Amino acid sequence: MNFRPYALLAEVTYRCPLHCPYCSNPAMYPGGNELTTSEWQRVIDEAAALGVLQAGFSGGEPLLRPDLAQLIAHARQAGLYTNLITSSLGLDAKRAHELREAGLDSVQISFQAEEAVLADAIAGARAHEKKIAAARIAREAGLPLSTNVVLHRRNIDRLREIVAFAASLGAIRLELANVQYYGWAFLNRAQLLPTREQVHTARQIAEEEKARCREQMDIFYVLPDYYEDRPKPCMNGWGRRYLTVNAVGDTLPCPTASSIPGLRFENVRARSLAWIWSESESFQQFRGEDWMREPCRGCPERTRDFGGCRCQATLLTGDPANTDPVCGLSRIVP
Amino acid sequence: MSSISPQSRPALAPGARIQTDRVAGQPVLLSPEGIQELNFSAHAIIARCDGKQTVEEITVALAEEYEAPLDELREDVITCLAELHEKKLIVVS
Ligand SMILES: C[S@@+](CC[C@H](N)C(=O)[O-])C[C@H]1O[C@@H](n2cnc3c(N)ncnc32)[C@H](O)[C@@H]1O
Ligand code: SF4
Ligand code: SF4
Repeated sequence: MNFRPYALLAEVTYRCPLHCPYCSNPAMYPGGNELTTSEWQRVIDEAAALGVLQAGFSGGEPLLRPDLAQLIAHARQAGLYTNLITSSLGLDAKRAHELREAGLDSVQISFQAEEAVLADAIAGARAHEKKIAAARIAREAGLPLSTNVVLHRRNIDRLREIVAFAASLGAIRLELANVQYYGWAFLNRAQLLPTREQVHTARQIAEEEKARCREQMDIFYVLPDYYEDRPKPCMNGWGRRYLTVNAVGDTLPCPTASSIPGLRFENVRARSLAWIWSESESFQQFRGEDWMREPCRGCPERTRDFGGCRCQATLLTGDPANTDPVCGLSRIVP
Repeated sequence: MSSISPQSRPALAPGARIQTDRVAGQPVLLSPEGIQELNFSAHAIIARCDGKQTVEEITVALAEEYEAPLDELREDVITCLAELHEKKLIVVS
């Protein structure tokens, strides 16, 4: 079967002024030189030619790249929808206008909590007040504002307050993302994992708030890892819709795929994106169903969840080709 | 009970944008939520959602352009817009 990518995640830098303990970025990221402006422009053109329709600019902190507006303008000219995923540190009025002028379609700012003391403690820096100011600046520049809060043991009991906070910022969308245990989050999971009771209560509150805020703000609740009976349809299937190019040009089927030992990622400096997408071993490895073992192999649900997450299977069972152990049908108990 | 009436004035939601998918040669509606494929009629409808025209005005314009019966069309337009509204892809005033 032929797949085409729909969305590119451009992790334009791994540098970041914050130190969120839940950060999903690789704790040991590949060293080397960040892709240059013209290399990113080439990647964007090649992605558009493959059929990519949306580009997310993330990192690290993408605002640390002085050429960010240039890259966004390039993506817009290539016909892509552009989304900036940012901590917002470094977003002043001048920058916001520059990005808007470049054609940025929407911005998502992450917050650690709804109030400064806790938020700054989580971020490891005095950032909360600056973020509030940046959110206002983004809106004043005419950028549609989404917000994101990663939920974990220290902030998950404050859902109602967090929702009210996001609404007060004028956000049109709030993503409440239960922490996914990759990168730093996996290393710090003992301090992040909420209790079952916390998870249970949070889900109820999220549903209530979602209904209550319908008209004003779209609340998107990302279900927690480890507490469900079925795995998430991770990436909508390996190598089916998404491409991630990281700061140094390695190209991954999913942003956390570097947690899978033994997978070799191709670099856009050496290969075309088209080749990487259709031919490379890393993209082929878990594409389709041939790689599946029991119980996924014969399971009617495999077309819905694609056997779950390969990174989670690796982290919890040691083998990326196993059924995601979150699945109740898996015999491997994490 | 639809969220859309003939007097509503629909507009694209902030952050939503129409674009052509060059692989499929089809119009798509892009937003922070993702990608919504638009069939021919959905595209014709949403291309007129400028926040100024009412649903009724959009219906009349489409009925003229495509020589379609007004009452049937009105129903189709409202159904289509209600769906897009549900998905937060349009706003109405
Ligand atoms: C890795 S960050 C990079 C962009 C920017 N530094 C920021 O924080 O927005 C991208 C997004 O992933 C979220 N995120 C980070 N670690 C996560 C995790 N372990 N689980 C779920 N979401 C996470 C962040 O809140 C942010 O919205
Ligand atoms: S989540 Fe974003 S802001 Fe926090 S450490 Fe990771 S990259 Fe930096
Ligand atoms: S056995 Fe595999 S395909 Fe079936 S529900 Fe579990 S993870 Fe999904």
